[in-house]
Amino acid sequence: MSTATPIARPTTPPARFRDLLAAEWIKLWSLRSTRWLLGVGALALIGFAAYSSVNTYLDWPTYTPREQAAYHPVSEVLTGATAALLVIGAGSVGALTVVGEYATGLIRTTLTAVPARHRVVAAKVAVVAAVMLTLGAVVTAASFGASQAILSGRQIGVSLTDPGVLRVLAADALLAPVAALVGMGLGALLRHTAAAVVAVCGVLVVVPSFLKPTVHQWANDLYATLPLYVWRNCLSQTHPRDSPALPTVTGSWVVFALWPLVAALLTLIVVTRRDV
Amino acid sequence: MCASVVGVIRVSGLSKRYGDVLAVHDLTFTVPPGRVTGFLGPNGAGKSTTLRMILGLNRPSSGTATINGRPFAHLRAGLRHVGALLDANDVHGGRSAAAHLSALARGNGLPRRRVHEVLAEVRLAGVAGRRLGGFSLGMRQRLGIATALLGDPPVLLFDEPVNGLDPEGVRWVRDLFRRLAAEGRAVLVSSHLMSEVEHTADRLVVIGRGELIAEESVAEFAARGSRAGVSVRTPAAAELAALLTRAGAAVTAEGVDALTVTGLSAPRVGELAHTHGIVLHGLATRTASLEQAFMELTADRADHRAGERR
Ligand SMILES: Nc1ncnc2c1ncn2[C@@H]1O[C@H](COP(=O)(O)OP(=O)(O)OP(=O)(O)O)[C@@H](O)[C@H]1O
Ligand SMILES: [Mg+2]
Repeated sequence: MSTATPIARPTTPPARFRDLLAAEWIKLWSLRSTRWLLGVGALALIGFAAYSSVNTYLDWPTYTPREQAAYHPVSEVLTGATAALLVIGAGSVGALTVVGEYATGLIRTTLTAVPARHRVVAAKVAVVAAVMLTLGAVVTAASFGASQAILSGRQIGVSLTDPGVLRVLAADALLAPVAALVGMGLGALLRHTAAAVVAVCGVLVVVPSFLKPTVHQWANDLYATLPLYVWRNCLSQTHPRDSPALPTVTGSWVVFALWPLVAALLTLIVVTRRDV
Repeated sequence: MCASVVGVIRVSGLSKRYGDVLAVHDLTFTVPPGRVTGFLGPNGAGKSTTLRMILGLNRPSSGTATINGRPFAHLRAGLRHVGALLDANDVHGGRSAAAHLSALARGNGLPRRRVHEVLAEVRLAGVAGRRLGGFSLGMRQRLGIATALLGDPPVLLFDEPVNGLDPEGVRWVRDLFRRLAAEGRAVLVSSHLMSEVEHTADRLVVIGRGELIAEESVAEFAARGSRAGVSVRTPAAAELAALLTRAGAAVTAEGVDALTVTGLSAPRVGELAHTHGIVLHGLATRTASLEQAFMELTADRADHRAGERR
């Protein structure tokens, strides 16, 4: 029987955090589903914005003066319906980055390769957030550009420096990363593809879509904690109405910050605690 | 710059409880470098659970498992310390073999050429670009072995690696395990079949119902089987049996002209027969089959009643 001869090997430089970022980047883009969902989704959203702007352009002469005064061109970038689509798509991609690991068993391979679980979660969160923010920014910028080009023919364009415009565009761009990270948290919690996608739709889209400001202040305060609700009733308006029944701009930004933060923490806790 | 690495796994008082099921109970053993250690036990014995605890995937209810004195769970680049194949299906079917390995290599700071090297080593270079969803079990098994080799680790764990491999593949992995051990690595190979490890392993760790049954060399383990002994064929069976019994052996008759003798070596049996003028037609040392020893030792601990309460 042979005796142990130590293996002599060249020492490779230690694994850095940016190697983990690169690994998560490869994992995200090597899935056909991600490429399709993000590529087709982005093009569809820009297309909807252009289509809606063309309709406005054609119908503009039939608008009453009151309608014309109430109209704001930045609303063409994301409508209620396209915002819902964006949130569902981004939330699903976020959920799939985690569910895709658990549902297939890949998580065991991943965590055997990198046993320090918090680093894996941190890298995943960072890559998903960065990719989704970029995607949101690109869709927002392209939609804004397209709708401006179309509407300028009616002299109803806006400038980026007009009050509220940049804030609305920022909120539009942030909707994707917020939804993606919340999706990730739900995915980590549920670890099941269909359940995670249904949860994303329910929590982020369906529930807030049914809610309207009420006479009960406690209900208004509760509603004002939902991302899509505050987007629709405050952040997407260049001049949000000042009413205690409606979310404030500051409060809305806090909601946009807290949801992804809590979701990322939840993902971290769930992934580091659970047996796989 | 070179680093000398010798891997050793130490499992100490390890237990794991899943609700009412005590899957692993107070398990202690060592996997030394330079050897292939077979990790044997019937279905449900707790082999996979133990391996998952060694890798920090499952938290032990009590006890510890260390690799080179350290728990595995906090390492940044696990592939460089331990290569493991737990379940060949632990991959995402939507990725290609190359993408799957590239992500793993990159996350451990390993150069990209390692991906091509290990794919060539397991003979999957030709299908590197194909999606894993279309891989057969044997191909996935090879990919799992490629994953384990990626970081050139001093410790390797394989859970039922032979499943799904063709005869040529089986021979190939056996040679691979022997080579990895000869290079000084600690290699642990689990199986529920003795025949899968008896030609590869130097040592055995045998468990049943989550408890240690044996930790010893293959030869020592074989000697435990009750069928070990000396077979003799002679026309004077009764006469020889009486003679050997007087000499202190235990003798059983196997038909009219054959005996099985334990307690005396074959040469000693031959000498005694010769000095007493007894004609022998056959004389052979019979080692118990390892399978036999394994079955006997685990018979009372085979846990076919899945989820049994204890
Ligand atoms: N995640 C789990 N939840 C509950 N019980 C489990 C879990 N994993 C394993 N068990 C139980 O623990 C025991 C040991 O299972 P384990 O998979 O470790 O056995 P094994 O030796 O690998 O068996 P096999 O040869 O069939 O692979 C079994 O009774 C099994 O039912
Ligand atoms: Mg098993």
